[in-house]
Amino acid sequence: MSVRDAVEAPPANSMTRPALTVEGISKAFGSTIAVRELSFEANSGEVIGLLGPNGAGKTTAIRVLSTIYPPTSGRFAVSGIPHTKPSAIRPLIGVLPESAGYPLHQSGAEFLRYYARLFGHTAGRAREIAEVLLMEVGLAERAASSIATYSRGMRQRLGVARALMNAPSVIFLDEPTLGLDPAGQRQILALIRNVARERGATVILSTHFLDEVEEVCSRVIIMNRGDVIAEGTVAEIKRKAAPRTARVRVPEEMLDRALTAMRRAQGVTGVDSVEGEPGWLAVAFERGATEGERGVANSAIRSLLEANVPILSLELEGGRLSDAFLYLTGEEKL
Amino acid sequence: MTSLAHAESAIERPSGPSAGWLVVAGQELRDIWFSARGQAIIVAYSLLLSLLTYLAASNTELNIIDQRDTVNLVTQIAMALAVVVSLLFSADSISGERERETLESLLLTPVPRREIALGKLLAAVSVWPVMLVVAIPYIWALRAGTGLFADAVLAGLLVGTLLVVAFASLGVIVSVFSASNRLALAATFFIFVVLLAPTQLPLSGWVGDLIVQVNPMTAGSTFLQRIIVKEHAWGDDLHLLIAPIAAALVVSTIAFIVAGRLRLQGSFGR
Repeated sequence: MSVRDAVEAPPANSMTRPALTVEGISKAFGSTIAVRELSFEANSGEVIGLLGPNGAGKTTAIRVLSTIYPPTSGRFAVSGIPHTKPSAIRPLIGVLPESAGYPLHQSGAEFLRYYARLFGHTAGRAREIAEVLLMEVGLAERAASSIATYSRGMRQRLGVARALMNAPSVIFLDEPTLGLDPAGQRQILALIRNVARERGATVILSTHFLDEVEEVCSRVIIMNRGDVIAEGTVAEIKRKAAPRTARVRVPEEMLDRALTAMRRAQGVTGVDSVEGEPGWLAVAFERGATEGERGVANSAIRSLLEANVPILSLELEGGRLSDAFLYLTGEEKL
Repeated sequence: MTSLAHAESAIERPSGPSAGWLVVAGQELRDIWFSARGQAIIVAYSLLLSLLTYLAASNTELNIIDQRDTVNLVTQIAMALAVVVSLLFSADSISGERERETLESLLLTPVPRREIALGKLLAAVSVWPVMLVVAIPYIWALRAGTGLFADAVLAGLLVGTLLVVAFASLGVIVSVFSASNRLALAATFFIFVVLLAPTQLPLSGWVGDLIVQVNPMTAGSTFLQRIIVKEHAWGDDLHLLIAPIAAALVVSTIAFIVAGRLRLQGSFGR
């Protein structure tokens, strides 16, 4: 049965089962806790971004979930198969490790044929699969060339092809675009999108490139020093943590009145006149205000209007994922 | 580029190989014997045997040892070099994958750890039959008049197989735990040299006898010498095979056990 068949006609009890369930996974190396209490669920076709600075625990998390490391505590399941059966999980997952090495003397086709055989395909099927995958990742013309002659981008695409070797339900990609030029990044991201959309595979994308996450991920998990510090959709994360600022222009003669009114407004954490720009105010709103970003801005506007200060111009700023990321990971320069 | 859905329909999910060790061994054999490395080793080895045979067979002034000793020398050299080369490949088998950062991908396949190690061990052991086959014409050429060709080849095959299995297994054990390829090679060669040294020493007394019997290298070497040079019957010196047999069985069993503990990172040399 093909994977497509399996996806279209799953067993009755798997209709609503998440592709990946993670419950309180922790991993410690001696006294160092690399991952602490990681929990989430991922459904078919989802692309989940695993974000975090270097040393956040992303790679360790992926190694635990891909059965390379046993978890110190917690549990996870891939398509319902518990982590206690790693040999049963491995045929269901595809992984592009962060530091994936390649046998440089082999050709791309030989390399994929070998892995197809390791996944249990016959020699004939392995050859066919290698051809199909090389075509899919755009390496068909270089199939017979030795991997030593491949660029970094080509090697990454070869690694993605290997990760797709077994038609996996869940694919873990650890920094797949690291060191690639913009064109190479585009190709890999397009590949990731297609894998999720056309194969219905769940993709766990570990990266520290925030624009990639905004581009392809439906949900984000932000880690820092082993802890999950935020989880949700990109919009939720931005709303939750991104700083909000605004520039407001009022008549110059009403600047003092505007300052006084704004300082009283709910959700405004700071306001000041902009030096060298007469009539302009810089306003900072509190993060993750309970009434939401629009509510905070509206409150500020309302306070000006109630003080009879006309608003000549309003520019809402901030709210980028990178702002939220820097704030959450404590790397924001204030 | 065609769609990935097309690729997906072309790729069914397999349940994993029924004999992953065979797939690993096949690839490792290709890597060893179709590579410049394997071929260079065989060429260098052939040249060494050629030189030795030429000197022994043609130069009567230099040829100061008799033919039996020469056949024994060639057989023992073939065996010792096979042990060294198999040790080289087996010590590199896992720690080399670690250094080249290819181990993680291998561990992510459904092939059990023990089968990965077994495949690599078999590939490392493969050097012995190849080197023995290369040595056979030289033994044939040197055996003239002695009638000991079959004894030399069979005794060499038996002792060499036991020693190569034991040392290649040792190489795999060290490689499983070693984070560094250099460390794995250094550790295994140290053990090899320690065990080889007594074969070059004049051993006498009960201590000497004990070392000869217990050390698989000296026991195997003495067994060959008695069969080839002293024309003993095979049954006379079977006790000398106990150490090589025990070494092959014990070390390969330990290798099989520790291979199940194969991890991404090595325990030593990080």
